[in-house]
Order: sequence, then structure tokens, then C-alpha cells
Amino acid sequence: MDKAIKIGVLYSTTGPYGPMGREGRDGAEFAIEELRSAQGVAVEPVFVDPEADINRYLEGARYLLREAGCRHIVGTITSLARKEVIPLVEKHDGLLWYMCPFEGFEANENVIYIGATPRQHLLPLFDYLLPRFGNRPYLVGANYVWGWEMNRLARELILQAGGEVLGERYLPLEETAVERLVLDIEMRRPSFILNNLIGPSSYAFLRAIDALGKRDPAFLPENCPVVSCDLTECELDELAPCAGEGQLTAAAYFDSLGSGENLSFKARVARHYGAPRLVSSLFASAYAAVKLCVEAIGEAGSDEPFRVRQMLAQRAHNTVLGPIVIDRETNHAALPFHLGRIRHGHGFDIIQSQPAVAADPYLTGQRTRQPPKLRVVS
Amino acid sequence: MRQTPNFNGWRATVLHREDATTERLTRQLRLLGLHVETRWQPLEPTELPDIILVDADQGWNDLLPWQGVAAPRPLVALLGSEAPGRIAWALEQGAGAIIAKPMSASAVYPALVMAVSVFEERRDMAERHARLEERIRLRPLVHAAIQKIMGSHQMDEDAAYRLLRNSAMQKRVPMEQIAASFLGGPSLPEVK
Repeated sequence: MDKAIKIGVLYSTTGPYGPMGREGRDGAEFAIEELRSAQGVAVEPVFVDPEADINRYLEGARYLLREAGCRHIVGTITSLARKEVIPLVEKHDGLLWYMCPFEGFEANENVIYIGATPRQHLLPLFDYLLPRFGNRPYLVGANYVWGWEMNRLARELILQAGGEVLGERYLPLEETAVERLVLDIEMRRPSFILNNLIGPSSYAFLRAIDALGKRDPAFLPENCPVVSCDLTECELDELAPCAGEGQLTAAAYFDSLGSGENLSFKARVARHYGAPRLVSSLFASAYAAVKLCVEAIGEAGSDEPFRVRQMLAQRAHNTVLGPIVIDRETNHAALPFHLGRIRHGHGFDIIQSQPAVAADPYLTGQRTRQPPKLRVVS
Repeated sequence: MRQTPNFNGWRATVLHREDATTERLTRQLRLLGLHVETRWQPLEPTELPDIILVDADQGWNDLLPWQGVAAPRPLVALLGSEAPGRIAWALEQGAGAIIAKPMSASAVYPALVMAVSVFEERRDMAERHARLEERIRLRPLVHAAIQKIMGSHQMDEDAAYRLLRNSAMQKRVPMEQIAASFLGGPSLPEVK
């Protein structure tokens, strides 16, 4: 292609989910930088930072699509922001590349989903937890659709398993007064705690549970773990002074993955930043999204979403998350499942892994077939 | 909502001329697991699918094989027009949800869930209604049975009513039924 490929990068780097937005932005930026320097592909990023103001997502997307001439946007962290941007992306026949784990129940033609759905995080997570810890969890969540829907689904899974939900509470992203919530958990003594909180409320909660575990060993992670589908490496510093050691997270990627692809990726990241850096699934997924996008545009010889989608669905693409197939019908990536345990001195030990499964965003049960046999890259 | 609505394996018929809307609609229905047939001619009453999506902009009365009776299947109206006549047509056919045209992909799943829920609610209400009507129709039997018990057992009306009710509860049948069998047969309700 003669002209540079323009990619909009739409992340909030400040505000309650700023650490996640910064990872997304950095991952996208690093991919673009690498494409430019190592592969000589001209990619021009256009950065927009809505600073966690929901109204500015729409303005930002409008600017990217209309004025900056971007047909592809990598961005948005929350479902609220994604839903805000989608109508505009549809109108301009663009593609939004979404890379966060989310609650599913969406399959838009103008979105490519690299983030995991409940079929890829919550279901395998519960398969792991229930036989080991029991089926009487306590559910906490952020006070918006992510927390609500994840906990609704968790409740459904628990009832199917003949268990009981001992409590269900919601907190706004920036609410850090968690004492009453933790007191209730202490009284009810659940088998485990599903943490769908986001941002500062999640960090405050993990600190309070850490303190509770020191008072009462029943709440140490080995007895009653706090499990999450969204806590990543990039947030571990926010937990200080506690480290969250022993708590569990499900993700499609961890920094500690031992694949050759990942080791080489991390070496390149370290070289780029001048020092090793813990890579989160958000960084890795934004990186993978940009790489997939540029690769598919190159193969299609066009940035037209229809052609790009065709290329994406045609074959598996090697990424830092492993070989990725995008489902032709749902536009969702088949993703692997890894279960990470926060280790001493930061990062996650991977304690279980499962090969990639299709996203099945509406949990119809029909898309649980394994994607085509892929070459294992390690 | 306790159980995640699942349409996997359902048969859907889209009554709409084939165009960009039906194409997008079909894509979305397929990924939800439905088998989709698109047609633009009247549905056969003997071959009803599990759910029907109908073009309310251009639909005519004989397109759906039920007129003047409750829709026998969940129905979703596809509607671009704002004309009250077209909205009324959709309601008359028994639509439980609307998908606005031009269609947004995110409108499909909620519309299916809502149409099915409305359909089930209406069906349950209709059944309940029919049961209550039947009971009202049989109410004179209960009255007659109470009169008979009052005479034969030398009881007041309240006591005779309680006797009949206890008997119905023990046999786990409606009072109307116990009253009818009592009036028609020789045996009186057992006294407890």
C-alpha cells in the first residue's frame, strides 16, 4: 500500500481505569512502532484520550472517523464506552478493535472482539473453582453492566451446580469504603469470592481481604481465594502495601507464559522500553489487535471492513496470545484460558491452561466446538 | 433473569422481502443458533416455526395465518414506519417486540427475549383466564352443594362451605369438581 494505514487509538489514560487504558495505548503504540521499524509498514496512529469522560468517547470516535480519516479504531475499555462508540463506527463502516475481557452478549459486524467472553473466562474459571473450593461464593462487582451481568451469570452457574450465593454487592468504580462489605463476607464465610470490581474499589477490596486473612486464616487465598476475570499485571502496583499474593485471575494471556513467541515478545518489549516491563493481557491484546489489523489490511489490499473480516476468518493468525482465529459469524477470537495466581514479587504463576475455545458470546452452547487444529507455537 | 435465554436450534421465519435488512437479520439470528427461513408469502398454518419476524411496514392481513385470534407463536415486528396504522397492524398480529429499521445488530437478541417472554406471559394469562371462567361457570354447583350439605348435615352455611372445601383439599381437586360429584353421587363429603 502506498499510503500509511491510519489507526485510531482511543483509550483513557487517566481516571479510575487509567492503568488499563495506558496498557491498551502502550500495546497499540508498541505494535505500530514495531511494524514501522522492523517491517517497514507505514502505520500512522492517531491518539485520542477521552480521560474517562463518557461523552468524549463519542467526540473522539467522530474525530477519528470523520476528520482524521481512520477506518480502524483500537480502543475502549468499558462496555459503556464501547456501546457509545459502536453506532458511529457502524455509520462510517469502520471497524472497532475491542480487546478487553467483557460480559459477552454482543456480536456486531463492525467490531472485532479480541477480549474474552464468559465462555472463555468465567465458565472455565468456575469449572476449576467449584470442585476445589465449594459452591457457596460471595459475589462483588462494579456498579455497571460488567459487574451486574457477570454476577447474574455466576449465580446461574452456582444454582445449576446446586450451590448457593451467600451475598451479592456492588460498588462504584471509585468507592473505597469497603469495610461493611468485608464485614458481611467475614460473617457469611463463603467458599470463594468472585471479584468483578473495577479500579480503586477493587484495589481497596483486595487490601481489606488481605488484612482479613491475617486476622482469620479462613480468608487466606488458599482457603477462600478472591478470583477475578479482569485483574491484570498492570494493576498489581495499585494494591500496595499489600501484594494480593495467592489471589486468582483468569486471562487469555499472562506475562509469565513460557511460549517462544512470548519470550521473544517480552525481549522486544524490554528493548523498546529500555528495561523489562510486566506485560498485561491488555497490553498484549492491544498489540495483537493492531498486528492483526495491519496484517489483514495488507492481505486484503484494502482497509474495507468486509474484506478485512474475510481475511481474519480465513485462517489462524499467529499472535502473542497464540494462533488466533476470528469466527466468521460472531467476529470473536477463539482464545485460550489461563488461570494465574499472583506470586510473591509481582506477576502471576500460571496454574492451569486450556487450549483456545470459540467465544460463544450468547452462550448458545453450539459454538463450543474446538477451532481447527492449530500448530502449537512454543 | 435466572436463566440465560437460549435460542439454539429454534426455527425462525422472517417474513420480509430479501434485502440488506434480512441479510443482517439472518446473520444475527444464525449466530444466536437459529435456523432461518426468509419468505415473502403467507405462512402455512400447519407449518409454524418457533418464532416469526414480520415486516410490519408492508405486511398485509393474510400474511400471518391467524386473524382475530391470539398469535400461536412469538412474533417480532420489523418496523421502519412511524405511521400509527402500521404500529396498530403489528399489535393486531400479536407482536410482542419491535426491531426498528434500519436494524442495529444489538436489537435482535433483546427483541427475541422480549417477544418470547410476552408470548409466554400472554399464554399463561389466557390459561388462567380460561380456568377462572370455568370456575365462575360452575359456581352454581358449589352453591347447590352447600345447600344440600346444610340440609343433610344440619349445618350453617359457613360450616357446610368448610366441609366442602376440606374435602376438595384432601382429594386435591377444585371445589367445583367435588361439588359436582357430590351432587351427582350418593356419597357426602367425609366429615373430618
